[in-house]
Amino acid sequence: MTDQTTEMETANVDSCVQIGSIVSSNSHLDYVVEVYKDRDCERPPKLSEREFGQPVFIKKTIDGTEHAVMGVIYDTQLVDPDQGRTGPRLAQDDQAQFTPGYIEERTTLAGVALLGTATVNEDRTITDPTHRMPRWTLEVDDTVYHCPDEITASFHTIDGQIQLAYIDRLVDIAGDLGAEVIVALIDRLRSVLPNEDPNQRVLDVVEQNVEWQAHERRGVV
Amino acid sequence: MPGHEEVIGTVAGPGEDPNEFIFVTPADQPIKTGEFITYDVTVDGESRSVFARVTNRELIRGLPEGFLADPEVGPETVAATLGVPTDDTELYRMTATVIGFYNTNMETFANPRQLPDPGTPLSIAPDGQLETVLPNLGCDTVETEVTQLDGVAHIGWLLNRPERATNIHIPIEEFASTHLAILAATGSGKSYTASVLIEEMMRPTSRASLLVFDPHGEYDTLAEMQGHESFREEDGYEPDVVYYDPERLQVRISELEIGDVMAILDNPSNRMQDRLSTAWRSMQNQESETWGIDDLMTEMRSEFGGNDASVGALEWRLRRSIQRNDLFDPEENVPLDEIIDPGQCTVLQMDTLDRRDQQLITTVLLRRLYRERLNDVRGRESEVEHPVFALFEEGHRFAPTSGDAPSLGIMRTITSEGRKFGFGLGIISQRPSKIDQDVLSQCGTQISMKIRNPNDQDAIKKSVEAAGEDVLRELPGLTPGQAIVSGDAMNTPALIQVRPRRTEHGAGSLDVIDKWREAYDARQREPTRSESADFGEGDSTGVQSLD
Ligand SMILES: Nc1ncnc2c1ncn2[C@@H]1O[C@H](COP(=O)(O)OP(=O)(O)O)[C@@H](O)[C@H]1O
Ligand SMILES: [Mg+2]
Repeated sequence: MTDQTTEMETANVDSCVQIGSIVSSNSHLDYVVEVYKDRDCERPPKLSEREFGQPVFIKKTIDGTEHAVMGVIYDTQLVDPDQGRTGPRLAQDDQAQFTPGYIEERTTLAGVALLGTATVNEDRTITDPTHRMPRWTLEVDDTVYHCPDEITASFHTIDGQIQLAYIDRLVDIAGDLGAEVIVALIDRLRSVLPNEDPNQRVLDVVEQNVEWQAHERRGVV
Repeated sequence: MPGHEEVIGTVAGPGEDPNEFIFVTPADQPIKTGEFITYDVTVDGESRSVFARVTNRELIRGLPEGFLADPEVGPETVAATLGVPTDDTELYRMTATVIGFYNTNMETFANPRQLPDPGTPLSIAPDGQLETVLPNLGCDTVETEVTQLDGVAHIGWLLNRPERATNIHIPIEEFASTHLAILAATGSGKSYTASVLIEEMMRPTSRASLLVFDPHGEYDTLAEMQGHESFREEDGYEPDVVYYDPERLQVRISELEIGDVMAILDNPSNRMQDRLSTAWRSMQNQESETWGIDDLMTEMRSEFGGNDASVGALEWRLRRSIQRNDLFDPEENVPLDEIIDPGQCTVLQMDTLDRRDQQLITTVLLRRLYRERLNDVRGRESEVEHPVFALFEEGHRFAPTSGDAPSLGIMRTITSEGRKFGFGLGIISQRPSKIDQDVLSQCGTQISMKIRNPNDQDAIKKSVEAAGEDVLRELPGLTPGQAIVSGDAMNTPALIQVRPRRTEHGAGSLDVIDKWREAYDARQREPTRSESADFGEGDSTGVQSLD
């Protein structure tokens, strides 16, 4: 059995791989997740399941309705307590988002930006996706799940049309890597959509715009 | 506010020019350049509606051009994907030029000398007010029922407004006394517009005395005015349309001035010119006005002797250019009372005359008419006891820049002096740059239509002081029937759609395909006459009626 087929069968929010748990937040939309290692859970995530640009979700029950709060990994960081208080940083100097609390052992931290929410159905799929800012606060120790491509696609499909309406908020949080996260999300969506889907061309235009703006911001053009 | 419509924008601040201001409108207000807007100011303690013209429109907020990267993907789709709202997102920055408030005492616009304050709400100027204040109708209110006025010509409606929403009536007296120029490239609607004005002038409320110099036979269909309901009045009035064919267009030799004669003769030597001037002058001083070339030769021989070489050479030239040209006659002259009458439109059909003859008949007729008008106004006996308006197609032929037309002198005189004597000219031309500047600049009212040639555009700009750059910028983009009316007949220039004619238009270009098919069918019929012609699509009545 390849990973691909397992993934297609698990468009079920209950059978998703756990990636880690929340350890802190930098803001209402910006959380720090400690990635599970072998002894944290039965099936820790593979490297490819917690890569840069990977969509994730956190389950939250609000007033009796179960929701999925959607997010994306926009940065990662290695921490080695033996090397001083915090480990070497992957991100550039002006990125002050990561200020993890006390950590005792070597660990991998992932930055997760929240994108929106959806309702979890009886059949454990999601509906009513919205890209408006989630109002609820997540808790320390909330479990963060790997979001399979199928759920990613349905979170991005509103009235039959692909949407990435959170884009400006995401760019704010992800800073210099904003364009790269968006491009990674677009690539993922493109691979899920059939080739002849008209949304493919829309995604091309959006990608071009995002990349062009990033080039402009970085002074390339 | 009485008569005020909904607010369409808000003043942002002053513009570059002292009379300019900037305002902002959302996308759901489709304000075009050239649109007339109003706002209120208090002048001397009284609230006044100030009119302004929109001169420029720029998008200041809208979807980025990057959203247009794929022609197959609409920018709204890209915007929707990114969660950018697309309803009414666009904002436009408009520039407007203050025209003024309508001063009912001065009966024209007065400049309030103050720009609207930022935040001032702007409305679309109401149709009824524009109908009253745009043309120079001398109304004493801001909103008058202009269709009830006498002596106005309904020329069309504002192009920026729906069809027939804002009708423009121009005062006939204004353009008929201070002259009119209709300038546009061929096929833009000059003859059509002239015909609309002729129709208006021949209506029972005006009953004009018109003379049309028609070098192309474009005015044949005006005869339809006769018997046409809208031209008839209960008192029995009906316009008279008289066609004067080239055989009847004759010039009495004694009416020619020495300058005219010189213009006709082939290269006369100085000595010949001398001799001729002397003899011509003594002939003109005679009692008789009906002398011919024979009489002139007798006079010359008696003065310079029978064997004078120059006289001999002159005789050959005079006989060739004057005596053998049917246009000239010792006695016959176009009788002015036949061509000039109130309620009469006379079309002088000059299409078979060559250019020189057209110029000469025009020169002599204008000179005679001018003389009669002068006599009338000075209280002397006159053959023409009412004002006259004469319209010229190919105006640059009669008043050319190059100055080699015998008619130029009298055209200059009439355009500069004619208004005092009730003699107005209408100059129609597709080459404004080839019209004498003195003549063109004296045409008080201008109707300019599509024109691309830069020299001609410049000529219009020079002669049309009143119309600002913003209006003239429209010239190259106009389509047939669209025109800018400016000058004495207007309080401010306006871009209009000329109304359809009541009579048929007779000056369309030749329908080449129809003519070929018609000729081919005629050929097919010739030998056997057994087959009946097949005109195919059925819309061939025009072809058949020509048979
Ligand atoms: N006001 C108008 N309404 C409708 N058609 C017009 C109007 N003005 C011009 N046209 C069309 O344009 C054509 C050319 O007009 P015309 O007056 O003969 O051009 P010009 O005299 O400038 O060469 C006409 O045959 C007519 O079809
Ligand atoms: Mg014409």
